[in-house]
Amino acid sequence: MQNNKKQFLTGHEVVVQAALDAGAESMFGYPITPTCEILSGWFESGKKCLQTEDEIAAGFGVCGAVLAGEKSFTASSGPGHILLQDSFSMAEAMRLPVVLIVGQRGGPSSGTVIYSQQEVILACFGGNGEGMRLVYSPSNLSELYLLTRRAFNEAWKYRYPAIVLTDGYTLKIRQNVDFDQFKKIENIPPISLIPENKIVHWPNIYTAEEELNIVLENTKNDFENIAKEIVSFESKEIEDAEILLIAHGIVGAVTKIAVEELRKQNIKVGLFRPITLRPFPKQELDKICGWKKIKKIVVVESSFGQLARIVRDQLAPEIDASFDYLQKPGLGIEPEEVIEFVKNIKI
Amino acid sequence: MSENLTTPIGRQAKFCPGCGHPIVLMMLQRILKQHNLEAQAVLGLDIGCSLLAWNYLPINTFQTHHGRVVPTMVGFKRARKNSLAIAYVGDGGAYAIGWQSLFHAALRDEPVLVIVVNNTVYGMTGGQSAPTTLSGQKTPTSPDGFTGNTMYGPEILHQVSNPEAFIARTAVNDPKQMLDFLDKAIKTQQAGHFALIEFLSFCPTNWRTKGIDTVKFLEERLKSVFKVGEIK
Amino acid sequence: MQIKILLSGDGGQGIQTIAEVISRAAFEKGLTVSFIPNYGLEQRGGVSLAFIKIGDQEIVYPKFSNPDILLIMSDQSRQRVLEYISKSKKIIDIKDYNFYLQEKKINSKNYNIFFLGFLTKMLEKEKIYLAEEIFLALEKKLSSKPNWEENKKAFALGLSFNF
Repeated sequence: MQNNKKQFLTGHEVVVQAALDAGAESMFGYPITPTCEILSGWFESGKKCLQTEDEIAAGFGVCGAVLAGEKSFTASSGPGHILLQDSFSMAEAMRLPVVLIVGQRGGPSSGTVIYSQQEVILACFGGNGEGMRLVYSPSNLSELYLLTRRAFNEAWKYRYPAIVLTDGYTLKIRQNVDFDQFKKIENIPPISLIPENKIVHWPNIYTAEEELNIVLENTKNDFENIAKEIVSFESKEIEDAEILLIAHGIVGAVTKIAVEELRKQNIKVGLFRPITLRPFPKQELDKICGWKKIKKIVVVESSFGQLARIVRDQLAPEIDASFDYLQKPGLGIEPEEVIEFVKNIKI
Repeated sequence: MSENLTTPIGRQAKFCPGCGHPIVLMMLQRILKQHNLEAQAVLGLDIGCSLLAWNYLPINTFQTHHGRVVPTMVGFKRARKNSLAIAYVGDGGAYAIGWQSLFHAALRDEPVLVIVVNNTVYGMTGGQSAPTTLSGQKTPTSPDGFTGNTMYGPEILHQVSNPEAFIARTAVNDPKQMLDFLDKAIKTQQAGHFALIEFLSFCPTNWRTKGIDTVKFLEERLKSVFKVGEIK
Repeated sequence: MQIKILLSGDGGQGIQTIAEVISRAAFEKGLTVSFIPNYGLEQRGGVSLAFIKIGDQEIVYPKFSNPDILLIMSDQSRQRVLEYISKSKKIIDIKDYNFYLQEKKINSKNYNIFFLGFLTKMLEKEKIYLAEEIFLALEKKLSSKPNWEENKKAFALGLSFNF
């Protein structure tokens, strides 16, 4: 694949290209729509690949490869994503740089094979843990490439598992992608977590509550310390905004179009689009919402409020803007719908 | 023998008195040392009494999840071909919660060595019945005696594994056979094939046996149901 | 400039094939394109949709509810796109062309290519691109496959259809 001009690619192809460019050596996966073509695309690349018996084995296979010092990843969706949280919780506990590409599909259960934003809570807080993982939400194919590269790099640099949380639309869409802008990204090399020249005894279960507590405190402190290096977001038209729209992923891109259109109609509306959902750009959002001008926060998403839960949880309690929600679980949202919704808001 | 066994790197054994695990681990260490493979060996542990082996041997060791050590070691071995990948697991982890992965690792002839320690019960959680529990055996989840069928893991896996794979059953009171099988299993992995050894083991705590009765239970009950030897 | 095309038909009718040809031709021309397939769980026999946007600016969201052109190639797909019909600017519905398709003895296997020719003519009128550009993309995709001659004929018939 050429890297020096625009290409006409699907999201699946973008993920495969990004993982190759990130230095990934292997993938373990189980076919599930809408992520099958990442698995078949990786097979085509000629790199090491194993189609496992289920997503449990795929996730633990990645854990094993990562322990041996190899950049490895898996991709899944919906019910498969649920099973992957088993291995992901081990990765969270042992701080294994496992990378998972999630193509959200409709839920709960088998739902649809097409699209949703309903795996946000699962991606951010799945498992019996504390959400100590990196979660990225790309809004288009260029960002899908960029954030997949970042997921590998930041997972290995900071030693946290990472999820690129995308969706069935973004993966299935075929679009022009310009790779020129990404030429300068350097790869963080992998490290051998089980070294070959010394002996490691690595526990993952503790006898006493205090032992575990110390580990968790350390993990959390590290997470908070690195957060400022990782958090990213996009904001638009926030300086004099009275209504702040918050949306992520492809809905974030749609909302941006709506903001541009609403501004043309002199409606004072701005956008906050978190690019990292874990760690969440909390301080930045607090700062924007803390401005007296913001009177209303509208969370727009293709779920019944999964992003809204995170926003409300993260927002400083003294901020008194009221909330409104545009929610279409399992359905795409068009710019016109956002525009219509905002125009009907009474401040 | 027992000093070497319990404190190979100066740690205290956490296994119950009379447990079979330390015997298996000691044999493993002996064979690794004999082949000069301690540096190459990587020991992945399932959850259950197996997890207590985490700092027991002078080889790289880590704990995983219950039922998940086999797929983890499959991934490890695929990434580091020159390692000796060992998955250490109890009968519940191997034949119940982790069966799907174990079955497919055998089916695909993954070059990992799976050590299954079979004491017929879930030892760490209080001796509940396992797929390997014997007919009539009383456990907290079969208080009137176990009425289900007993699972023969190695025999089933033999049906789907490569002819070059090594699948066998031995018992912790037969050191010679244990060493012989471990030796063959290691050579099998080095030749690129799947290997599994089931060790019939002691659990006096949950069997509620004392002294010689523990050995008797293994010799008379377990061995009458589970045939030791290479599965051919 | 932006044009939105929604193609619909039964699985197996070749909706995705012509969608690929149209969007590939636009890409080769240097236009901005997004193409997103949409189909049910069935590998065969379900409804197959393709949402295509072509323009000269960045495309943010691949779907839409108000197509400029809507193609309907089967009864089943007509039901599926019911809500789009009233919002579409131009509709090409196979039921209006059955007579012509039969008169010209076009094999049902080549219906999709007939409508591709038909669409090409419309897109040429909209000044999106030239017929040759689409034909080139079609040739690239299908010329080595069986039935190329029949497909070529169907394309020409679609292109020359007087509407």
